[in-house]
Amino acid sequence: MPPASHTPPAPAPSFAIQKERTRFLGLTLDECIQGFFGGNAVVAVIVLGLITLFLFREGSSFFRQNQDNLSIYRQAGLEYVDFIRTQEESHTALTRYLSDLRLRALRHHMDADGLAVADANARLASFDEFAGRFSDAVEPIRGLRSELGDVAVAIKTRHINNLNRIQQRAQLVAAGKPDEAAAVELETIDFAGEIVALTATLPLYEEASGAFATALNEIVATPPPLPTLELTARVARFQELTADYVATFPATIEAMRAWDHTAPVAFSESFTAFIFGREWLTASFWQDWYGVLPLFTGSLLVSMIALTLAVPLGVGAAIYVNQLATPAEQRAIKPTIEFISAIPSVVLGFFGIAVLGEFLRVASGWEWLAWFPGFPFAERLNALTAGCLLGLIAVPTIFTLAEDAINNVPRAFKEASYALGATRLQTIVRIIVPAALSGIISAVLLGLGRVIGETMVVLLCAGNRIAIPDFTAGLSVITQPVHTMTGIIAQEMGEVVPGSIHYRALFVVGLLLFFIALLINFVAQKIVRRYKISVG
Amino acid sequence: MDSSSTHLFAARPGPARRAESAVAWIFRIATYLILACGLFVFADIIWKGAPTVLRSFALTESFPYVTNTFLFEAPETLHVFTYEGEKRELGDTAYRAFREAEIAKAAAAGQPAPRFTPTSYVYAAGGIWPCIVGTVLLVVGSMFIALSLGVASAIYLSEYARDTAFVRFIRLAILNLAGVPSIVFGLFGFAMFVLFFKWNVSLLAGWFTLAFMVLPVVITASEEALKSVPKGFREGSLALGATKWQTIRKNVLPYALPGILTSSILGIARVAGETAPIMFTAAYVVRDKLPWEVEKVGDFFFQGVMALPYHIYVVSSKIPQNDYTQRVQYGTAFVFLGIVALIAASSIILRNKLRGRYKW
Repeated sequence: MPPASHTPPAPAPSFAIQKERTRFLGLTLDECIQGFFGGNAVVAVIVLGLITLFLFREGSSFFRQNQDNLSIYRQAGLEYVDFIRTQEESHTALTRYLSDLRLRALRHHMDADGLAVADANARLASFDEFAGRFSDAVEPIRGLRSELGDVAVAIKTRHINNLNRIQQRAQLVAAGKPDEAAAVELETIDFAGEIVALTATLPLYEEASGAFATALNEIVATPPPLPTLELTARVARFQELTADYVATFPATIEAMRAWDHTAPVAFSESFTAFIFGREWLTASFWQDWYGVLPLFTGSLLVSMIALTLAVPLGVGAAIYVNQLATPAEQRAIKPTIEFISAIPSVVLGFFGIAVLGEFLRVASGWEWLAWFPGFPFAERLNALTAGCLLGLIAVPTIFTLAEDAINNVPRAFKEASYALGATRLQTIVRIIVPAALSGIISAVLLGLGRVIGETMVVLLCAGNRIAIPDFTAGLSVITQPVHTMTGIIAQEMGEVVPGSIHYRALFVVGLLLFFIALLINFVAQKIVRRYKISVG
Repeated sequence: MDSSSTHLFAARPGPARRAESAVAWIFRIATYLILACGLFVFADIIWKGAPTVLRSFALTESFPYVTNTFLFEAPETLHVFTYEGEKRELGDTAYRAFREAEIAKAAAAGQPAPRFTPTSYVYAAGGIWPCIVGTVLLVVGSMFIALSLGVASAIYLSEYARDTAFVRFIRLAILNLAGVPSIVFGLFGFAMFVLFFKWNVSLLAGWFTLAFMVLPVVITASEEALKSVPKGFREGSLALGATKWQTIRKNVLPYALPGILTSSILGIARVAGETAPIMFTAAYVVRDKLPWEVEKVGDFFFQGVMALPYHIYVVSSKIPQNDYTQRVQYGTAFVFLGIVALIAASSIILRNKLRGRYKW
């Protein structure tokens, strides 16, 4: 008998997704979306990589170009003439010493002896005669240097013109105009032959130098009488300095004799000339120098001023807000400081030009501030003005990060300290600040990174004088005008010819800034990770 | 009666107590000094800049019948001169019209033409409309690029990428690039967009330079916002059978959005406030026409614009400081500071508002 009712078993309910997944190019929708986001991330990473690549690409050939620059300097004999120029400049420094001396003597006559200006000047007639003879003594040397300089510059100009023509010819050849290319006349510059015109003058120079030395010795042997003992001592010092100066003459002659225009300029010299070069001099008729030291020290000086102001204020405020302030104060202060960080740097720079610079200059003349190093000063825009404003820029960064670090100190630390009977002050100084120290240090470092990369404030307010600040002046160095790495890029980038050595030099400065920023970030992260508090 | 003095553990006056309050006062003074300095800068610029804007309202013939000559006109050269014993300050257009009229009048009267010897100050008259337009264009374009690229990258990094050494390296690189000085980004933009791509000094080059400058900030902040959404949200959604994309769209992005928004507004403030990156990629010192008054559509992208921060740099460094130039200097700084402060304040307020909204 067939089964009464044979129902086929009901199909098992399937939990599998019935619908065929939509596929594009063999990918499911989800995979496509993942691919889209991944693609974006890849683009972002590529872009960030490109930044490094382009900085290197534009900057890298600077060192080779600078090597050429330095070899022309040597080949054309400019280096040779600079031996004499250095000698001349040392003499100028000595004359400045004399004018300083005269000023002191004049002041003495007017203040201590109560003479009128005309009488005081008359008293110094013998001194003036002495100073005049001293400064005139250099004339023969100066004349020789100027003649030789003309010769050297002529050689250099011819060489550079020739290089330009070579380039022009190459361009014409590349453009498929061989006839026109051939029409461009090239010359071969016989450096050895040309340079003879310079080196042949060595006996002449030796003679002049000898006469100069004799003249100087003769002049300083009979110093003019000066009113006070202190000034007479200075005259004696001047005699010593002159003697030292004259003693360097043989070495100069020796160096000139040993000088060889064919000596190759090593690649490393181009590198050291950049890193340790004490001069940044561009578009000069004589010789361009690309030494980053004046800019680097300027950046450093301004940053240090800024941090000296910002670190105590920022960290102090962070401690106050986190540990001492009432909740209402906290709610008001934190957003306000964040708000301050939103002031654009160019506005601060304008404020420095319009208000702060003038205010500081006036304030520096006040009697009761005379103890302050460098006061009074005449330059409205200087490292101090820029430093104060950069301090205001660094404060919010330092405050926010330091406050975070203090906030991250476990509550148990504080409570344990109180339980042991410590006062609030003891707890803050001995427990909380040490525990948060790594965070505070990294906050300060990031503040430094912020300050050293700041452009507009230093461009507008730092005074833009390209020279290494005179650190021998002690703390009053802070009132000197300086130029900075960021400032020089902003100032000169718009005017340079792309591809020129100057253009590349600015990129190398940019690279340097890039690496400084990376280094600061790296160290800050390292410190935080190394000294992380672990509770457990 | 004073009950606290009888309490065993109550703070008692003494040297330690005095030292404590002295130190507290030092910290307090430091805090308020910062606030005072910052607010003084604000106050000075508002005090001297606001009159420029407020005094420039003028009536017009057509709708909307009122305008502001400082906000809505292009910069002009200011001519200061004495004419018939009366001192006049006129913008370039008005000066030319005045001179023509006076010369015509003199000619009609049969007198010799009067002589004008004005002292001129560039950009000191007129307004800053092209700069406002330029800044807005720069900000909108660059934030569009930075946000679309940055948020998508952040979603990938936080939701899809596995924690491999390579991804860690990418994170580190992004973090470090956030600290690179803006002038270096300017150099990069100049080398890549202006010279290598031959876009010249243009709006487009400025967009990309600024976008790449804020990209690390946007990625880091967005990733942080995505990471702060609890894992349970994703797991719950996935357990219910949602796909990865559905999970992200419905259960992650909505909760991360406030954080992303805050960070992006901060990014806007940064983009609007920076001068160094646009100095040689996008900013013109002066441009007669507005960005959209072009012959070809392409010119809109491939010509530079005037921008507020750069204009401040120009008027504060290239023209002398005196009573005639102060109007435009402080006025521009005031408008610019106002815009940036408004953006920053809205970001801070928004964040404080949203902070307590989601609790998990």
